[in-house]
Amino acid sequence: MDGFVSEALKIVFAYYLNLAWRRCRQGWPMVLLLTLTMAIGIASCMTALTIFNALSGEPLPGISPHLQVVTMDAREAGDKDQSSYDVPQSWLGLADATALVDAGRARQQVALAQAYVLLGNPDGKQSEQTLGLLAHGPVVPMFGVPMRYGRPWTASEQAGHAPVVVIDTGLARKLFGTENAVGRSVAMGNGSFRVVGISEPWKPRTQFLDVKRNQGNVLGQPEQFFVPAQAALAAGVGPLTAGACGKDEAVVSFQSAEVSQCRWLEVWAAVDGPAELENHRRFVAGYADAQHDSGRFMHPPQAALYGVREWMVANRVVPDDVALNLGLAGAFLLLCLVNVAGLLAARFLRRQADVAIRRALGASRRHVFAQHLVETGLLGLAGGVLALPLTWLGLWVVRKQPVAYADAAHFSVGAFAMLLLLSLLVGLLVGVLPAWRVCRQPLAMQIKLA
Amino acid sequence: MRHLIQPLLRHRLMPILVLLQVALACAIACNALFLLQQRLVPILAPDGIGQPEKLVMAWNIASRGEPWSSVRLREVQRALRSIPGVESVALAGSLPMEPNAQMNGEVFAEGSRTSADAAVYIGNHLRRTLDLKLVAGRDFDDAEDAIDYAGVGINDSGSTIITHALADRLFPDGDALGKVIRIGDEPDAARRTVVGVVEHLMRNKLEQDNRANIDYSMLFPGVPGQWPMPAFAVRAQPVADAGTVRAAVEATIKRELGNEMIEGFQPSYQMYADMRADMLARSTAAVWLLSGVSLVVLIVALVGIMGLTGYWVQQRTRQIGIRRALGARRVDILRSVQVENLLVVGAGIVLGMALAWAINLWLMRHYELSRLPLAYLPLGAVLMLVLGQLAVLLPARRAAAVPPVVATRAA
Repeated sequence: MDGFVSEALKIVFAYYLNLAWRRCRQGWPMVLLLTLTMAIGIASCMTALTIFNALSGEPLPGISPHLQVVTMDAREAGDKDQSSYDVPQSWLGLADATALVDAGRARQQVALAQAYVLLGNPDGKQSEQTLGLLAHGPVVPMFGVPMRYGRPWTASEQAGHAPVVVIDTGLARKLFGTENAVGRSVAMGNGSFRVVGISEPWKPRTQFLDVKRNQGNVLGQPEQFFVPAQAALAAGVGPLTAGACGKDEAVVSFQSAEVSQCRWLEVWAAVDGPAELENHRRFVAGYADAQHDSGRFMHPPQAALYGVREWMVANRVVPDDVALNLGLAGAFLLLCLVNVAGLLAARFLRRQADVAIRRALGASRRHVFAQHLVETGLLGLAGGVLALPLTWLGLWVVRKQPVAYADAAHFSVGAFAMLLLLSLLVGLLVGVLPAWRVCRQPLAMQIKLA
Repeated sequence: MRHLIQPLLRHRLMPILVLLQVALACAIACNALFLLQQRLVPILAPDGIGQPEKLVMAWNIASRGEPWSSVRLREVQRALRSIPGVESVALAGSLPMEPNAQMNGEVFAEGSRTSADAAVYIGNHLRRTLDLKLVAGRDFDDAEDAIDYAGVGINDSGSTIITHALADRLFPDGDALGKVIRIGDEPDAARRTVVGVVEHLMRNKLEQDNRANIDYSMLFPGVPGQWPMPAFAVRAQPVADAGTVRAAVEATIKRELGNEMIEGFQPSYQMYADMRADMLARSTAAVWLLSGVSLVVLIVALVGIMGLTGYWVQQRTRQIGIRRALGARRVDILRSVQVENLLVVGAGIVLGMALAWAINLWLMRHYELSRLPLAYLPLGAVLMLVLGQLAVLLPARRAAAVPPVVATRAA
């Protein structure tokens, strides 16, 4: 019985499709206009949505939701007398950063700073200016950097300021001509660092580490080496910029290892669950307050933890344009919807004569409604198909733009599925009102009008 | 009037759909045009630079470790000055249209709370090299240009040249010459005496919303110390070939400082016009996007109104025929369709303006955006009214063409 009903439905559905097709062929300029309007609306929305999605997801799926960055007003007497601490600051001096990390209160924690350093092989024949992280703590396991060969550095190596380094496969190939360069030496600053591990190429999807030194970057940059911070300093290798330094220091100095008077490290902690988060918050606040009470920190420290998303918003990593454009595109799609709904209503109501005949011959209101919905659904799908090249065009245009997120504008299979679903939804949504309007007309009135 | 409103109320679907479209289009257009205007500001505003085709800029020159001393930098400046065809050279901490090094801050008219967010350019021979037009006072003298600051110079007192716009803002009573500007909010902040006023000089921190303060700039004489990213502006003589000078500037700076620069940073040696184009590229792109969006929104609204009104007229062909039979002239029918459209569009505009205002308030709360100027609302209203009348023209003429004989046909 069920099989019979579904078979009948199929026939009816096929009949409606056929009807819709015939009707679309009549007055095709109008149909073209409707489809084009829907396509433009859908395509602009998809373009903006693709970029928004690429930039608003978690930078490290599965890992970044647990990360928290430590902020506090750690200015000491020797620091520049900036009059206010109006935005939260994450940079800490080496002593504070290592103290917070070594206390080991969270599941994992690391202090880090962005570096941009010349790395070479021992004979000096190959060298490469490379982005990487100076870190104190288990940076590689904590951020889930995948290892190809070897291992990250150990706690005892870090404690002993051992000159060890983890480099990625790309850098290993460039410096040594082979990916498995474990055990080789890398020249960095005035030191020689032993390669203990080779990582896979790694970068966060969006920039969230040391955002101050990465200003202007929206997309994550590949970090090609990881080195213990204190060992690096000992070899004369410093962060990209020295950070916030003492009163008599330069405003900015690049690649300097003379950072003893500076706040330059950012402390990240991996924390699971609200209870642990609250514990960690209390621990950090306690540490900061103790420094203030002892007279080291001049101001009330206002210590706070920020999650990755919050921190990115606070530092405006993703430009406003992205959300503004999405809003604009959404409003435009809405306008297109109302527009198409109106034109469809006019189109349907013009054909009341046909509807009246069908109704007189026994079609129920439900059938008339379903028939019109099939027609608009078909129009919606046609709009979606037309929107596909338009979306591709839109993303191509964005890629040509001088914006930091241009590389995020790539069409994905997921986006394509979303596009088709969106267009079907748009088609049905747009059709509901006109279809309902057509079948609501009392039968006698319809026949009279006809 | 009643005969116009009642049919609208009886058959609500069509008028409501038109009204909704107008409201949405009006809200989008108002906000998009406002954003567009914001993005146009830096493109249209005068930057103050005279003869830009003769100006070469060398920037993104970063020292490794300790910044270069001013003595060292002045040597380089002399070397640049001796290039054939060079008229003057400025050595500065930051330059107009330079994206990497910027100095900005809140400055106050001494003795009052009047303040402005201004850009500060510290360097020697800047006025002459950038060819800024002096409208009052004097240029810095040699003694002032010979100053070597221990720090960057922002916290030192001395003299300053400011733009006309900043002078008007800080000293609305006129005559800024001789007045004192406090650099920062603290009581012991540096004081700068205004010795000259230039016509224009664009700031180099171009925010999204920068209509008011885009021309608020100050020049300090002398050379900043402890500054790791010095920049040079080189003006070629009117007869000299700027391209040749640019190449010579590049060679000279590479020879003098190349070994002490940090690795991995490429210094830029550009003509000013190229630098300006780079700096404004994002604004230009946004202008194209927003104007495209506004245009498409208006076209979609136009087509929508036209289609709906066409149907609305067709629906009432018989009524129109009856009115014609009862003595209404063609022009009466034309007018009544137009007035009807005016009513519906007008209602849409009222709703649309409220919507535009609400959207702007929301945007202001979440993004760095200023208040939508009230002037945009009537502008958007007029735009939509014209659009509505344009859209209704064809259907109204068709309505007017309905012959009275239609009334006699059976329903």
